[in-house]
Amino acid sequence: MASLGRPAPARTPFAEARFMKMLDEPLVVSGELAWLGGDRLERRVEHPNPEVSTITDGEVSQQREGREPRRFSLKRAPQLQILLDSFVAMLGGDATRLEQAFAIQYSSIDERRWTLTLTPRDPKLVRTVSRIDIDGAGNEPHCMRMQEADGDLAVDLLGNLAAKMPAVPTRDALAALCRGG
Amino acid sequence: MRPGGRWILLATWLVVLAALGVCVAQRLRVSTDLRSFMPAPTTPDQRLLMEQVGEGPGSRLLLLAIAGKPDEQLAALSQQLAASLRKDERYSQVLNGSFDIAALDEQLLPYRYLLSPTFDTHAMDAPFLRDELEQRLEDLSSPAAGLLKGLLPRDPTLEVLKLAERWTPPKSPDVREGVWFSPQNEALLLVQTQAAGFDPDAQTVAIDGIHKAFDALPGHEGTTLKVSGPGYFSVVANAQTRGQAEWIGRISTVGFILLLLLAYRSVGSLLLSALPIASAALAGIAALIVLFPQVHGITLAFGFTLLGVAQEYPIRVLSHRRAGENAVQSVRDLWPLLLTAIASACIAYLAFYASGVNGLKQLAVFTITGLLVAGFSTRYLLPHLLPERVHDVAGMGWLVRARRWVDALRRPRWVPVLVALATVLMLLFARGAFWQNDLSALTPLPQDLLREDARLREALGAPDVRYLLVLEAHDEQGVLALSERLQATADALVARHAVDAIELPSRYLPSEAVQRARQQRLPDRATLEHALAEAEQGMPFQAGLFAPFIDDVQKARSLPLLTEERFAASPLGQRVAAMLMSRGDHWVGLGTLSGVHDVTALQALAKGSDGAVRLLDLKETAESMVVAYRTRILHALLAATLLLVLAITVALRSIRRAWHVLAPMTLATFLVLAVERVAGVEVSLFHLVALILAAGLGLHYALFFERDTGDAAEQRRTLHATLVCVLSALLVFGMLAWSSIPVLRAIGLTVSLGVAFHFCLSILMAPHARQD
Repeated sequence: MASLGRPAPARTPFAEARFMKMLDEPLVVSGELAWLGGDRLERRVEHPNPEVSTITDGEVSQQREGREPRRFSLKRAPQLQILLDSFVAMLGGDATRLEQAFAIQYSSIDERRWTLTLTPRDPKLVRTVSRIDIDGAGNEPHCMRMQEADGDLAVDLLGNLAAKMPAVPTRDALAALCRGG
Repeated sequence: MRPGGRWILLATWLVVLAALGVCVAQRLRVSTDLRSFMPAPTTPDQRLLMEQVGEGPGSRLLLLAIAGKPDEQLAALSQQLAASLRKDERYSQVLNGSFDIAALDEQLLPYRYLLSPTFDTHAMDAPFLRDELEQRLEDLSSPAAGLLKGLLPRDPTLEVLKLAERWTPPKSPDVREGVWFSPQNEALLLVQTQAAGFDPDAQTVAIDGIHKAFDALPGHEGTTLKVSGPGYFSVVANAQTRGQAEWIGRISTVGFILLLLLAYRSVGSLLLSALPIASAALAGIAALIVLFPQVHGITLAFGFTLLGVAQEYPIRVLSHRRAGENAVQSVRDLWPLLLTAIASACIAYLAFYASGVNGLKQLAVFTITGLLVAGFSTRYLLPHLLPERVHDVAGMGWLVRARRWVDALRRPRWVPVLVALATVLMLLFARGAFWQNDLSALTPLPQDLLREDARLREALGAPDVRYLLVLEAHDEQGVLALSERLQATADALVARHAVDAIELPSRYLPSEAVQRARQQRLPDRATLEHALAEAEQGMPFQAGLFAPFIDDVQKARSLPLLTEERFAASPLGQRVAAMLMSRGDHWVGLGTLSGVHDVTALQALAKGSDGAVRLLDLKETAESMVVAYRTRILHALLAATLLLVLAITVALRSIRRAWHVLAPMTLATFLVLAVERVAGVEVSLFHLVALILAAGLGLHYALFFERDTGDAAEQRRTLHATLVCVLSALLVFGMLAWSSIPVLRAIGLTVSLGVAFHFCLSILMAPHARQD
């Protein structure tokens, strides 16, 4: 766990696919995730539409070209709270924080590859996000799968894997990509 | 009277008092609304002021600050406190910065298409919907997805969020962890109480409720909850006044009892002399209960103070007892003078009745009833109970010496002239304003409380309590239309920084005309379905996802338009109700102002409206009211003075003798005024009340000193009685003068000075000594 830690600011390219009940096709965006130290996280989307979201002091601000910035409390976006918790804890190498927020299950596939399964301890959070799987190899996480309680799924490919996001991803294809990467 | 008869009389008297006491205790309903001590409003502005002072949105607002823990925990406490208070009927609105969709009733949700201005500038057509849906797709792939996912099928254009934004207070504090925070790291809340701001008892209940709810929250330990606002101030002021009046009252009661024991050396006499006063107080309250539905707390407090005059009656009787003489006989001799004293005090207090102020009317009824009961029971009941044999005070050595010294005093004729001249000069050359017009100068609030309030008010952007925009039209719709027309000018003023924010009623409730126009612009089902299908082309939204949206738009097309009445059921409607009110033949709307920087710009806005819009300066209106109030009381006093001169002249059957009684009293009254003015005191209504009380006491001194019995022993008894009265008055009111509360100090200082001056001048100007 501590081996995953790195100094801030830590940046990594990401590509995200979201599978939602209300949509016939998954939504795909890509860009860069940055941990700015502390509880500050920046999510910069470059494709298809530029957008920068930052989390500071429990507040999320979202900026798009030609639009008024939108601000809201982190409390109202539990998915984001979980992303922040897991991301910051992981990059900060903070095992205690991770354990406070989640029940952790570690399994290794072979010598290098592993999967961390995080289940939120907060009963309110678990009602929106049922679990997160983080796949990695060595000291490099390269895939985060967030399973929402209503069946929706968000898969984030990180680092080098981000470039391998298929044009029209499917749940199975991404799962295979994550486990195999 | 035979001893048996005396006991029967005593027992009967006590039983009647006890019965009266029980009856009073059961039926007395004390009100604490300070407005009944304010003058009756005469102009529409004053009427509005009186309502605003007590019930206006500004005065019912409590400002809350939670401090002492990290932001996250404070935010959680803020949310829990807000949730708990929202369930409580005592609070009409609770805001803490978090937007709560529940604020808009489920049934009112379709009204968003009539309330939101979005479709005034855009048609609900395919290109508009396409643009919105594209944004929603971006939203869904953004961190806000979780937030919006639930809203989307029903509200793809996010009208609910737009309305929430529109309705958040115009100048909100920082939002952290989802709730308001001050720069000093306190979580802030705004709570509007149902109770009127200047009803300290109701506010106490409301504030206690907040503290109880807060103390019941898990994790509140280690944090502090601060409350501020007009309602809180009225509670503090009330408690302080009550607290000080109580301890001062306790000390002076003990002093008073000691003084009487020293003067008459008889526990029995002391206890018996309390009977007329007790009867007076109970009868006074009983009269109030019969005549008024509610008795004001201040009436009772001031009333008991003013009844202090009545204590003189038994004192006079006790002092004027001659050795071996029957008490009934002593009283009979004293009665004509006592009756004059009672009548003149009643006439003076009658002035309060003429003031037209409900609280003062009650005061007049209470004191006049009390004085009459005290006087007549002293005359017809008390003497029968007093012991047959008494110690004649006239024989006391010190009294003989004192009387001799007083009689030997030189009384040059120029003394009154000199005093009068000095009084006139002092009045002429006193600095500063003569009258105190600012009611708030009498509020005993510590400066740091006021500073704290100003800080929180600034942080919360809470409306100014001094200025209000008043919109008038013949009906509710007229007011709303006016408010809509005013919006552009108001926005311009805010842009120019003349004022930080203006909140008009149409911000929450558009006029029916605007609602109808919006309703008519909404597409019918077929058109909307078609437009939506076109917009959705090539987008991944599931078929039929937006059916709830189409249903809501159709519902909005046929909804009865939203009126204040229909809106009032929801929490937000309460806010509208506070800004719109019916005035019989017309309607009034209120615009609240935050951070007024340029009053003239606001006045100009009002001037350009042909009288439909006015800038109401609550402070100025309050002052104009105080002035009108005082003028009325002064007129009443003038009338009372004339009546008094007449009454005394008739009673004494001599203009010359009346002059000897009235001259020292008048001179002493003006002397008190002059001395206070020179000391820099601005004269308030309470000073006037106190001057009248002192004049009443002074009149008694002058009446008794003027009485020429030609009997040296009787003159000594007069001096004894007057000394006891003066000392007891000085004791009671001198204590009040030490109070830190301006109202109590004003009364204490004025009456103490008055008693001293009246006493000295009555002696110096007593006529017969000079004739020796």
